[in-house]
Amino acid sequence: MNAINLKINNEHYDVSVKPHWSLAYVIREKVGLTGTKTGCEMGTCGSCTLLLDGKPVFSCLRMAIDAQGCDIRTIEGVEEDNNGELHPLQEAFIQDHGMQCGFCTPGMIIAAKHLLEHNPDPTEREVREAIGGHLCRCGTYIRIVRSILNAAETMRNAQAGQ
Amino acid sequence: MEYYSPTDLNEAYSLLDKYGEDAIPIAGSTFYMGHREELFDEVEAVINIKQLGLSYIRQDDHGLRIGATTTLNEIFAHELTSKGTFGILAETVKELNINEVRNMATIGGEVCIAGEVDMPTTLLAYDANIVIGGSKGVREMSMADFHIGYLNNALEPGEMVLEVHIPQPPANTGAGFAKFERTAADLPIVNVATRISLDNAGACAEARVVAGAATLSGVPERSAAAEAALLNKVIDDTLIETAAVASGDIECIHDFRMSAEIRSLWVKCGIEDALQRAVAAVQ
Amino acid sequence: MTSETSVVGKSLPLLDAYEKVTGKLKYAGDLPAMHRMHHAKVLRSPYAHAKVVHIDTSAAEALPGVSAVITHKDDITGKKKTCGSPWHDFSFNFMGPMISPEVCYVGDEVAVVSAVDEETAKEALKLIEVEYEELPAIFDMEEAMKEGAPQVRPWGPNSLPPSLFEWGNIEEGFEQADYIIENRITLGNQQHAPLDRNACIAHWEGDSVSLWTSTQALFWIRDAVTDFFELSPSKVRVYSTPTGGSFGLWWGNNFMLLAIAIARKARRPIRLVLTRDEVQTTVKRRERPLIDAKIGITKDGKMVSQSYRHLMDNGAYGNKFDPYQSVADIYTTEHARVEFIGVATNLLPAGCMRGVGDLTLAYAIEQTVDMAAERVGMDPVEFHLKNHWKTGDICHTSQEVVFAKLLFNKNPTVELTSSGLAECITRGAEAMDWKNKWKGWGTPSSVDGHKVRGVGMGISTHISGLAFFGFNGITVKVNPDGTMALTTGIGRMGQAGDTTQAMVCAEVLGVELEDINVIDGDTEVCGHTMVTFGSNGMHMGARATKAAAEHAKEQILEYAAKHLEANPADLDIKNRRIFVKGSEDRGVTLKELMSTPIFEYLAAPEVIGSASKGVEFDKAGKMMMADFAEVEIDTRTAQMKLIKFVAVHDSGTIVNPAVCENQVAGGYYQSMGLSTTEHLVFDDETGAILNPNFMDYKLMGPLDMPDPEIMFEEVYDEDGPFGAKGIGEGVTCAVPIAISNAVYNAIGVRIDPPITPDKILQALKSKS
Repeated sequence: MNAINLKINNEHYDVSVKPHWSLAYVIREKVGLTGTKTGCEMGTCGSCTLLLDGKPVFSCLRMAIDAQGCDIRTIEGVEEDNNGELHPLQEAFIQDHGMQCGFCTPGMIIAAKHLLEHNPDPTEREVREAIGGHLCRCGTYIRIVRSILNAAETMRNAQAGQ
Repeated sequence: MEYYSPTDLNEAYSLLDKYGEDAIPIAGSTFYMGHREELFDEVEAVINIKQLGLSYIRQDDHGLRIGATTTLNEIFAHELTSKGTFGILAETVKELNINEVRNMATIGGEVCIAGEVDMPTTLLAYDANIVIGGSKGVREMSMADFHIGYLNNALEPGEMVLEVHIPQPPANTGAGFAKFERTAADLPIVNVATRISLDNAGACAEARVVAGAATLSGVPERSAAAEAALLNKVIDDTLIETAAVASGDIECIHDFRMSAEIRSLWVKCGIEDALQRAVAAVQ
Repeated sequence: MTSETSVVGKSLPLLDAYEKVTGKLKYAGDLPAMHRMHHAKVLRSPYAHAKVVHIDTSAAEALPGVSAVITHKDDITGKKKTCGSPWHDFSFNFMGPMISPEVCYVGDEVAVVSAVDEETAKEALKLIEVEYEELPAIFDMEEAMKEGAPQVRPWGPNSLPPSLFEWGNIEEGFEQADYIIENRITLGNQQHAPLDRNACIAHWEGDSVSLWTSTQALFWIRDAVTDFFELSPSKVRVYSTPTGGSFGLWWGNNFMLLAIAIARKARRPIRLVLTRDEVQTTVKRRERPLIDAKIGITKDGKMVSQSYRHLMDNGAYGNKFDPYQSVADIYTTEHARVEFIGVATNLLPAGCMRGVGDLTLAYAIEQTVDMAAERVGMDPVEFHLKNHWKTGDICHTSQEVVFAKLLFNKNPTVELTSSGLAECITRGAEAMDWKNKWKGWGTPSSVDGHKVRGVGMGISTHISGLAFFGFNGITVKVNPDGTMALTTGIGRMGQAGDTTQAMVCAEVLGVELEDINVIDGDTEVCGHTMVTFGSNGMHMGARATKAAAEHAKEQILEYAAKHLEANPADLDIKNRRIFVKGSEDRGVTLKELMSTPIFEYLAAPEVIGSASKGVEFDKAGKMMMADFAEVEIDTRTAQMKLIKFVAVHDSGTIVNPAVCENQVAGGYYQSMGLSTTEHLVFDDETGAILNPNFMDYKLMGPLDMPDPEIMFEEVYDEDGPFGAKGIGEGVTCAVPIAISNAVYNAIGVRIDPPITPDKILQALKSKS
């Protein structure tokens, strides 16, 4: 076992891990943050997406031990990053029904958050590409895409209003 | 299982020497973690090679050099690989519709896997060389020699891939990439990369026609017959068709993912598409 | 009859949307660890059929950290050696003897280990030595049905006698026909493939057991555990969390019983989380059909007789032989014969998946109908409009009829409550521009180089619940501030059952959705509620919710009458306020009423509305749908692309349009998967599944298909609460029909799903 420290949503966690333990596993089972979901554990569903040093990655494909010293942001941190309030993406997913069962939602929101931070006015195609590796088995893509586009508009309007 | 994160190459080499075949160098980790259950069982040491300064893209007199731990998205975004002479590299990355994997997977990893990924196919079309390092020194070999078979390459125990070196292609070169898959976010079922260089008269002076993912050998292969069909001729639709038909010399795998018949058809179609793109891209 | 509504009909957000977007919603795999909890792993058979002749677990038991090992020697199945009656035994999904000495499919359980963590449990599995003696295995339905075929499992025949429905006189019917069209179809092996993985925690306290799991079948699991472990219902408590998708997968399953069994032996709470491989290869899949269809028509395109023989591959322990629903009735003919035969094979057990029965049989019927329309030269749209099912028609093959016969030896008549099929077909055809795009059978609507396009259509139906799913016991408790708690056992699989039931409650009580707090998922707290499948929630379950709310309203009006010194009959509630009808300024807010003492009692009132309702089945509400597809076949690459899709649904009143739109879209994506890339591939030699994960079992992603055009034909259903019928399952049913018919029109060859490049290539070759 290797003792490591993970910085997740600005909090520090000391955990002992084996090298092949995934970041997703450690965050869920050892740290106890279960908002990051694990559907396939082989990088094919997108549910475990989080931001690692600002970039979206599949945390099931990342060794936890290799996330030491990284800035890790999970769905639990999204409100905190938005002054304790729901992020416009979260609001949009709620209002536009960008979900059914909700299992893919955290991963979708993380991927979309990264997109909108780098591309405030994406086309529908760009939105779909940003979540291209994410599955929604309920098939709510229409409303997921709509949620992201509406959130982008809200954020642009807020930006313009400032 | 031990974990190391060496910060210089000599440290990495001594670890590789110490553990031999029981050590795995890891960077993007997508392949190993995606196959965790089977692959980690026999491993004694995991060597993280991301602190070795191997993430770079640079050009020199000999062509383009991409460090082994450079990620696909770094290639996608870099000005040397997203447009111009080597723009085909970004076009190849673009065909992988999984942004998160592109943020993790590295060119070194793709080169070592060789099958079921896209980049090696394009690299073979560009006569890329693999720069290999170890405590005994650094050596460079062609992609064709590097790949022995599915998940099997010329690395000796104690060695690792340091860099991919892509020679500067001649002037008047164009390239094209084509991919066939089951859904938009899939392993490639067939990928094809082509590169053509034209002489001053506009005839084909050099041609590379490569198919990957579908081959029986498990590694990208050049179609000698397709390339021969193109050489010294002016490329038009008829010639492209002739070259594509000639690609029957690439033997395709038949498995539950797709029949060999469809894969062969897609190799042919992919060559058509990729050659059309290559002709359009000549600059 | 229609009514004005203020909550029903609005796209209100899901009640648990906040928890979902913040990652706070707990699925079973997210539940916190319990004190002393251990983790279980299951050893599974590598053989499709074998006897466990020797098993040695001593090394596993000796491994530090291991708390228990169970094998067939523990005989946890006890007396339950065979499946019981198929409809009320373990959720239609009982897999027979648990950890039996005879394994009947690749993935069948051989042993279970519990240990301090999953890794130790996995390590222990490797230390178990098993010697198998292979037995003959059968993977083909027709082979399994042959006389002298090896027995698939240690009890019963490989196929049960057909479940048979006949009306009119089938021979006479075919004599009346000018043309008889015959056809045989099959489909692929679809798997439910929710993203979430099945998980549970089991814990014994003395002789009582608690189970936490994600499920749509709260009470059926309680009953199954009660039955299996021979406990009193008072000794079994099941807590259900929401499921991360289900589509029929999250009923009861062996793995829950295994967790309970090993928890008893280990004397610890046990957590068992299935791996993705296990979810895909050991829980269940959709029954694969093999259907022979025969339809008789007259020269003027009138359908006069129909006969179907529907084999369904149940795999090793599936148990389906009943007709499912009543899809054979979507065409009203005087003469018909329908046979359903469940067949066992040594493959992954099969069971219900979204659209069960209606999807498979409708596919067979509609392919044959398309051929029939071609035979008489009638536009398929016209043929459908001429022959389809109408309000008041008889549901000959309704499951209710079967069960009435089986349980009571009675033969009731069930009538269709409503049908908006004609409108669905007409509107869909218009949206597809059918008149211009349909150029005749096997004729592309357009050709552009090697790209050919074709259009196709299909109709289907599905139940909106079935009476035998049971009673619904619902309570509505009104709080002093006028908010309320609605208690229901409805499953939460993403279908928004909690939200839409609360909308019904809010509508009745004149409050807002946000005023309702839904309490669910606890067998001790909730009244028995129908297991949440068969699309029963809105058409059947909500009757009890509505009645409970009306019961609460009655009490509220009684108290308000005292408060306002009026007659209860003169009062109503709207906008959280009770008022005198006709003089609306005389009133009291619900909050004030509920928090103000009433003179007669010197106390504020306490209101608890309740209802327990079964469902009479003399009339059946069925959802109806017509789907239209335009596909493009690339004759160069043998690939298919969907260009346009129109889905028109009659689910009665649409209680929450956004929820229903998501349902329809979901059915579209899933059935497009069934039509193309979703197919479990069984190894011919071993019967093992070669693609047990999303790397190779390909689900449709956000880049794969165009958005469908979704329309609702809101035919008010007199029997449904606020005119509503079900929606969740039928959304899958007509999709593959429309796609296959469109492919036929594009290239002139009929191909059954999965429509793969290989099949397209062979079809194109056969044509040229």
